[in-house]
Amino acid sequence: MHRMTRFILRRLLHMVPVLFGVTVVVFVTIKLIPGSPIAGLLGPGSTPATRAELINRLGLNKPIPIQYFDWLRSTLEGNFGTSISFQSSAGTLVFNAFRNTMILAGAALILALVGGFVLGAIGALWPKGMAGRVTSAISTFSLAIPQYSAGLLLIVLFSVDHTWLPSGGMHSVTGSTGFADLLRHLVLPALAAGLAPIGVVARMFRAALLDVMGQEFVQSMRARGLRRTTIIRHAIHNTLPALLTITGLQIGYLLSGVVFIETIFSWPGLGQLVYGAISARDLPLIQAGVLISAVAVVLVNVIVDVAHGFIDPRVRQ
Amino acid sequence: MSEATTAYDMAAEVHVTSGQPERRSWHLSRVRALPPGVLIGGGIVSILVIVAIAAPLIAPDDPQAGSLLTRLQGVGTSGHLLGTDGQGRDVLSRLIWGARPSLIAGIVPVAIAGVIGTALGAIAGFGGSRLRTLLMRSLDVLYAFPAILLAIAIGATLGPGLTNVIVSLSVILIPPIARIAESEALRIRSLDFMDAARTSGAGWIRIGLRQVLPNIAPPVIVYCTALVGLAIVYAAGLSFLGLGIVPPQPDWGGTLNDLRNNLFTQPWLSLVPAAAIFIASAAFNILGDGLRELLDVRADRAK
Amino acid sequence: MSTAVAMDERTLGATLTVDDLKVTFANKRQRVEAVRGVTFGIAPGRTLALLGESGSGKSASARAIMHLDNRGVELGGQVRLGDTIVSALSESELQKVRGGLIAMVPQDPTASLDPLRRVGAQIVEVLRVHGIETNRRAARDSAMNLLSRVGIPDPSRVMRAFPHELSGGMRQRAAIAVAVACRPTVLIADEPTTALDVTVQAQVLELFSELQAEVGMSIIMVTHDVGVAREIADYVAVMYAGRLVEIGSVDDVLERPAHPYTAALVDSVPTPETKRGELHVIPGRPPGPGDTPQTGCDFAPRCKFAIASCMTMPPPLVPVGTGHLAACPVVDGLVPAELAGVAV
Repeated sequence: MHRMTRFILRRLLHMVPVLFGVTVVVFVTIKLIPGSPIAGLLGPGSTPATRAELINRLGLNKPIPIQYFDWLRSTLEGNFGTSISFQSSAGTLVFNAFRNTMILAGAALILALVGGFVLGAIGALWPKGMAGRVTSAISTFSLAIPQYSAGLLLIVLFSVDHTWLPSGGMHSVTGSTGFADLLRHLVLPALAAGLAPIGVVARMFRAALLDVMGQEFVQSMRARGLRRTTIIRHAIHNTLPALLTITGLQIGYLLSGVVFIETIFSWPGLGQLVYGAISARDLPLIQAGVLISAVAVVLVNVIVDVAHGFIDPRVRQ
Repeated sequence: MSEATTAYDMAAEVHVTSGQPERRSWHLSRVRALPPGVLIGGGIVSILVIVAIAAPLIAPDDPQAGSLLTRLQGVGTSGHLLGTDGQGRDVLSRLIWGARPSLIAGIVPVAIAGVIGTALGAIAGFGGSRLRTLLMRSLDVLYAFPAILLAIAIGATLGPGLTNVIVSLSVILIPPIARIAESEALRIRSLDFMDAARTSGAGWIRIGLRQVLPNIAPPVIVYCTALVGLAIVYAAGLSFLGLGIVPPQPDWGGTLNDLRNNLFTQPWLSLVPAAAIFIASAAFNILGDGLRELLDVRADRAK
Repeated sequence: MSTAVAMDERTLGATLTVDDLKVTFANKRQRVEAVRGVTFGIAPGRTLALLGESGSGKSASARAIMHLDNRGVELGGQVRLGDTIVSALSESELQKVRGGLIAMVPQDPTASLDPLRRVGAQIVEVLRVHGIETNRRAARDSAMNLLSRVGIPDPSRVMRAFPHELSGGMRQRAAIAVAVACRPTVLIADEPTTALDVTVQAQVLELFSELQAEVGMSIIMVTHDVGVAREIADYVAVMYAGRLVEIGSVDDVLERPAHPYTAALVDSVPTPETKRGELHVIPGRPPGPGDTPQTGCDFAPRCKFAIASCMTMPPPLVPVGTGHLAACPVVDGLVPAELAGVAV
């Protein structure tokens, strides 16, 4: 396990420069704001003196790198700035919303992985059957169906004429907070967010399983007299590294998609928060949301990398 | 290292395999007949482009003139083949006119990112290992952002409008293109003819234009074609969120958002602009697949 | 009719007989006959070398014995193990035979072991699947024993090791341990030393002999290497273009070859006596799997002894000595002594 510890530490170290870069990018978007950033903060009757005073107070006369490190320090202290539209801490708003987003994205990810696994396995184990062709057709078109279209389609199918499933919110207006109620509200948005990834995962997993099944050690297992089910089990074990990589790829896609899904389904998560912030031009809120999402993606990928090390001993080297 | 984390890789249909991808060279001599993907995808794309150019001629109505008397007509209404929106504007006309900004917002950012990304990738691939690491690690940072969220951050800062959509989409499309170009450049660098060209005394610019570019171009073009499909989806998404073209000018994502508000009165109507986005995006994906076959580019080389 | 019986009196009690074995690779466009009617037998505790160039059908034959048919592979002929007709068994019955009665040592040990599981687990699995050991602990102990018996110095470390942590030689020993775990009646080794260093090759061949003496199994050694055949085999069967061209005891076939191809093969191997510039090369090349089969003898186009009838009729395998058969009418009628020394 000594080697494993070192492996994990190395992955964590890799993360540092990426996180550093992420903060730089977010800082740059702040600096991109056209016009003077203080124009909006100053009242109409401001004098050059109050103006100079404000610039001084906000540190805007300092060199850009200093401004960056000042901003980074306050960000690291958990101060993401103040939301213009809510007049409260952007960090708190974003963190609270992110919890709901994780529920939605997590459900969509599970759907994508389970659905993609089943479809991909069918496609790989019976490659000449209908299933194989259907999965490849699904995934060719899946990327062309944006989550917002999928979401609207699901609402039209399940919520407009028949109120089979709720099309908005996380909980019923009756104030029920039960788990079953949450699940009912989760079905459509999770499906809309996970639809395209199901096809993508199916296709990638199918390719990975076919690749493993064609390798010599699988043939050797047959020569050792192992049952087909046992062989398939070992083969699937060998696709886990690929599955992990696939999972990592989906995270960014899902976190992008939830902006639309949450808007359409009124899911009180980060995406809806960001959507509201766009029309309010609430930039601190948007920046906090984007920063949190990017950090989440980086963290997920570190977890994926570490899990990779646990599954595949060759990676730990 | 955290590998790619976004949807671009899905567009490239990266095959995750445990083995090393097989490397094959491509030759124009392999081109025999046009693959069906090129014909079908190219056909649909051509029709869309013609529709966009000929919008003033073929649009049945003024896309911005509505009448509250003819609000929310269903699909198939006489005079309004695809119905009308909440302000009584003809949806078909809005879609036809909307093809212009929607296609531009899909194609132009890919073109811009294609040039910049290829240049960065080539520099990284042919430069020293320090330069390569610096460039590619910097691009990895952009990869960490969920694509749409980064585009939102840039777009929200710059404000709505077609130009700003193009800017923000260009930024998020550069890293994946650069990555493809870099891996191609690295592959070419190791080939024998490079040594031959260098020993024969050819200058770097000459080598770059005569040897490197023709070899990097096919995979990058194939990838970019499929990426246009994704960019159309992204552009419509930004419009949907209110970051695209400024209303009342029509575009597909904006029209979709307009009709969404009337989802419960005219449910199927809202799927009409969604279908337009789907068809355009799928057409570029099919065209990309066809070009891949035509130019014999292996998808998993992208990884 | 079984030519195996004609080999000699010892094969009467053959453990394994292969009769008219055929392997055809078929897809939509074409059918390739990789093995075209191969017949031989092997006695208990003996070693048969299946000698031939790549593409001669030797590996395909070896796989066909275990009925390891893949998609698009058609098998014909009969394989008999003792009283069991292997080729008639159902898939589930075959699973008991594979790895249990007939085991295989693969060509590339690196590729043949599951990279994600520890070596010990893979041996234990085979022992338990075939019911040799039902108790997990007992299975571990016997896996450990097996590892030390195949000459692995620190079996407990190797038990816990992943395949990539072992050297090539160690990996092949581990693969051999998996193969002999269930004390098979017949061990098929497909070029087991090709991927190994020369020094390790000799050790592994030695190991085969030791295990054979200990377990009493028959070995079918698939090889392209005349030297390997000479060192380890009791019998040699030479294959060319999917057919058997000569079979007999190792002395008969390699010292007194009765087929021009065997003679050429033996002659193409340099020995300490070979003088500089005297290395013999067989002209032409063997027919590939896609080539149209000859109407006559497959070797005829490359054979300097070929006569008119060689081009029209495939020569049958006929006895040329006690337990020695060859598929060449010309040489049979000619002077074998002259052939033995010629360079083809």
